[in-house]
Amino acid sequence: MGALRLLSPLHFTHCAYGERRTEVTGARARARTRSSAISPLRSSSLPLKHSEGESITPRSQDFNMWYLDVVASAELADYGPVRGTMVIRPYGYAIWEFIQTYLDAKFKETGHSNMYFPQFIPYSFIEKEASHVEGFSPELALVTIGGGKELEEKLVVRPTSETIVNHMFTKWVHSYRDLPLMINQWANVTRWEMRTKPFVRTLEFLWQEGHTAHATEEEAEKEALQMIEVYRKFSYEQAAIPVIAGRKSRAETFAGALRTYTIEAMMGDCKALQAGTSHSLGQNFSLAFGTQFTDENGQQQHVWQTSWAVSTRMVGGIIMTHGDDLGLRLPPRMAPIQVVIVPIWKKPDEKRGILEVASILENILKEASIRVKLDDSDQKTPGWKFNFWEMKGVPLRIEIGPRDLSNKTVVVSRRDVPGKHGKAYGISMESSFIKAYVKEKLEEIQSALLARAIAFRDSNIVDVKSYEELKTVISEGKWARGPWASGDFEELKVKEETGATIRCFPFDQSPGEKVCFMTGNPANEVAIFAKSY
Amino acid sequence: MLGIKSYLRASFRSMSMQALSRIYTLNMSTSETVDSVVKEISAARIDHEVDSPNSNKVEKKSKPKKAPKDNTVQKPIAKKKEVKKDTGLGLSVKKDENFGDWYSEVVVQGEMIEYYDVSGCYILRPWSYSIWDSLKDFFDAEIKKMGIKNSYFPLFVSEKALTKEKNHIEGFAPEVAWVTKSGETNLEMPIAIRPTSETVMYPIFSKWIRGHRDLPLKLNQWCNVVRWEFKHPTPFIRSREFLWQEGHTAFATKEEADEEVLAILELYRKIYEEFLGVPVIKGKKSEVEKFAGGLYTTTVEAFIPNTGRGIQGATSHCLGQNFAKMFEIIFENEKGERSMVWQNSWAYTTRTIGVMVMIHGDDKGLVLPPRVAPLQAIVIPVPYKDADTQAILEECIKTVQTLRAAGIRIEEDLRDNYSPGWKYSHWELKGVPLRIEIGPKDLANKQVRVVRRDSFVKEDVPLGQLTERVGELLEKIQSDMFERAKLKRDSCIKKVENWDEFMCALNDKMMVLAPWCDEPDVEEDVKTRTKGETGAAKTLCMPFDQPDLPEGAVCFASGKPAKKWALWGRSY
Repeated sequence: MGALRLLSPLHFTHCAYGERRTEVTGARARARTRSSAISPLRSSSLPLKHSEGESITPRSQDFNMWYLDVVASAELADYGPVRGTMVIRPYGYAIWEFIQTYLDAKFKETGHSNMYFPQFIPYSFIEKEASHVEGFSPELALVTIGGGKELEEKLVVRPTSETIVNHMFTKWVHSYRDLPLMINQWANVTRWEMRTKPFVRTLEFLWQEGHTAHATEEEAEKEALQMIEVYRKFSYEQAAIPVIAGRKSRAETFAGALRTYTIEAMMGDCKALQAGTSHSLGQNFSLAFGTQFTDENGQQQHVWQTSWAVSTRMVGGIIMTHGDDLGLRLPPRMAPIQVVIVPIWKKPDEKRGILEVASILENILKEASIRVKLDDSDQKTPGWKFNFWEMKGVPLRIEIGPRDLSNKTVVVSRRDVPGKHGKAYGISMESSFIKAYVKEKLEEIQSALLARAIAFRDSNIVDVKSYEELKTVISEGKWARGPWASGDFEELKVKEETGATIRCFPFDQSPGEKVCFMTGNPANEVAIFAKSY
Repeated sequence: MLGIKSYLRASFRSMSMQALSRIYTLNMSTSETVDSVVKEISAARIDHEVDSPNSNKVEKKSKPKKAPKDNTVQKPIAKKKEVKKDTGLGLSVKKDENFGDWYSEVVVQGEMIEYYDVSGCYILRPWSYSIWDSLKDFFDAEIKKMGIKNSYFPLFVSEKALTKEKNHIEGFAPEVAWVTKSGETNLEMPIAIRPTSETVMYPIFSKWIRGHRDLPLKLNQWCNVVRWEFKHPTPFIRSREFLWQEGHTAFATKEEADEEVLAILELYRKIYEEFLGVPVIKGKKSEVEKFAGGLYTTTVEAFIPNTGRGIQGATSHCLGQNFAKMFEIIFENEKGERSMVWQNSWAYTTRTIGVMVMIHGDDKGLVLPPRVAPLQAIVIPVPYKDADTQAILEECIKTVQTLRAAGIRIEEDLRDNYSPGWKYSHWELKGVPLRIEIGPKDLANKQVRVVRRDSFVKEDVPLGQLTERVGELLEKIQSDMFERAKLKRDSCIKKVENWDEFMCALNDKMMVLAPWCDEPDVEEDVKTRTKGETGAAKTLCMPFDQPDLPEGAVCFASGKPAKKWALWGRSY
């Protein structure tokens, strides 16, 4: 924050901004006093900041505090009254809606239908698949009282829906003609986590969960791989997150699955975030629930299944991949606001003309389906607005001042390139020109964010040939990649001694013989180890 | 005891969940007190939706004192019907003979709903969920145009938020489901699952709203809510978990709030009339029927002729400043004065789908309005023995491609293990608006046979005109379905002047439009006097569209001077 950026003559200095900031903080302090005095309902004592425009902890200084500050200041989320719950505010929810719209279309293209299963699952369902109940039981929220009465059977608030889905599939699937059965639901799920963090890990979160049943193992496997590819593509092309797709180790596989495929993202602090998973469930659930069909030869068979999910955690991934010291940086394709127009006037007689032109420009961009916001409030200075919208991560800012007005031009600033280099002066306001220009810039920013994230990721993955090397790499906070052919025991040892887990065996493997860095045995593949969220 | 009761009632008239919670902190000395208190609360509960508190009260009273045991795990009702499924298609019950059974059969056989092991919870299958999605697409786009933004508030409500004073809790809120354990561990404090979100949202509104520049605050959320009722559950119409949208907005002035209430109500009318083909009557709720704690409630009321019951379609409430006072949602206006916000809340639920099924369905199954039908047309090959089956199948596929390119939701059913007759019944059961049959004769004549689901009228359409004609037919079906339903509904409204006429019309399963003095006591009195096996009559609404009130008109029930026309009826 300290580095003085080069500003055009029209711009207010950081110093001026600093003064305003103090004012805001002061107002907030008063507000806090008021709130604690009058409302016993406000139980949240967590250190979220609520006031817009407030400075955020620099990312380089404290990543965790920076994250919480960004979430609060950019108005992405607030804490709910129950510990570990979160309120997703409109700005954050709009990002989730983009994720939904994109994925929903892809699911439909690939033949899935949406439906809705009840939120309550009889406890006996959960118990049916042994490893499943073992994996989830400590996190289950149980309803035991309804309508003032003790329930005969306790009900689980869904942590995931495999069991109820299988219960119903058993009713719906009779013949091979009923297969494949491919459904998806958008829902809330609950996992009673102890350590929570907005978007990344909350008691309740939103997600989609796909569930499919197939006649053969090959088909199910193909489906599981197809869906992880949908997620990978989404991450790269929309969220500009260069995830690594791969297979989970046995220890990290979903409770009840044969194989779990994952996309792993590297956050700005180099920790890994599991951003989506797709499970090849095999016949584990169909055996437990008796989900059978009559095949073409009249034989009874158990179905082969998959399930796959992406959640609001992805929003956390976007924040932590792209954000910088100044706040959020949103990939243009997903930004609720792609362009903010900030009009700048000094004398009152300049105001009208400038606002008029700003509003014309707003409409021109809207016509081109660009999500644009005109910040015409006269309560804040342009400098304050610059900082505010930068903190909110808006990819592009257009400034219109008196000089621009007479030249019929604007100044365009990129959020992702700080200072003078990100600014273009004298950009013509002519309708077809500015539309094309803005669209091109947005695409450039989209690619630039991805390229930067790829470079960051690649410079922080280190190939290791020994356990000692792995220890060093992990202690430096980086990801270690090395040949692995050891078992659960060694994996646990790595986890206990370094805090890192196997994130995945990447699909992308180089050919050639390898030697497991742990045991010296011949290895088929490399694994990626990292600390994770 | 009396003191407690009247205190409770008073709390409820004036307030919300918070007041409700305060109730639990009272020391209940006997279990009888708790019982009666619970009953009182159910009667006056905060209800965003549909079921009127008071109809509840009446029906509750007619029930045995002790509520039935909660059979959490129910035997699926559909079981006996599974047998039938193997032997043939179609419904075993006629709509006019046993409406209740017909309804539960048609929603299952039409593949909208699957029963589930937890009583009152249902699975929404793709066939119904897709209808929910299309209503949502319309409504969501409309409210976004109005500047309302989507957000998401937590499912869980702390006991602290529900109970203002956290003394020892004797009872639990009726209809609330409580999480008491995580894994094997008992929670320190039970946590409630939202029955509606006021107590979750308004404390946060209070935090977000500071100055007049923070207003209006206009939020909506799409979510599930849970109300653990013991009333007979009915798919879509009354379930323990349901999906809805709940809008919650705050304004600086009453005028802005008033305007929004009506704008939202108009969207609800469109959902029913223009999408679902269900005629509704817009109006205002009486003082007795309005949302507890609100200033006034507006509603769209539908009517189910078969049962002679009105059904509340959706409501849009102006909450006034009552909640702002309770939750301290205060802003500083332009003059620097502290002032309370004006609030609205409004909701519609998956009940919409149930009403649509009840209105349009027939003895052959569902009849879906084209605008919301997941499939608008189904193409079925009708091959004869010596016909060129391959050519027919190809023509079917070509037809689907042509019409799909024109934006029509259409599929072909080429399965070879079912006869054309079976397929006709299957798709009739599912209510697809148009069936297109293609046989050898059609092939030869370059035409297809088109059959309407709503009227079974058939016509041969030359291939050259197919796209245009199918488009026309779909629009015609949509408007015909609405017009038919409206005619039927209109014939069920009886205008009366006195009590005898009123009772007569009520017993004829009519809605009754009657001159009324608009006094709560009189409404309560009418309820008492009409109480019977089929439930008491109450006001459905006071229609916005008021006929002229003759000079000197008197209230049909009290004989006092009438102030307006009110619509009365038995209801869901």
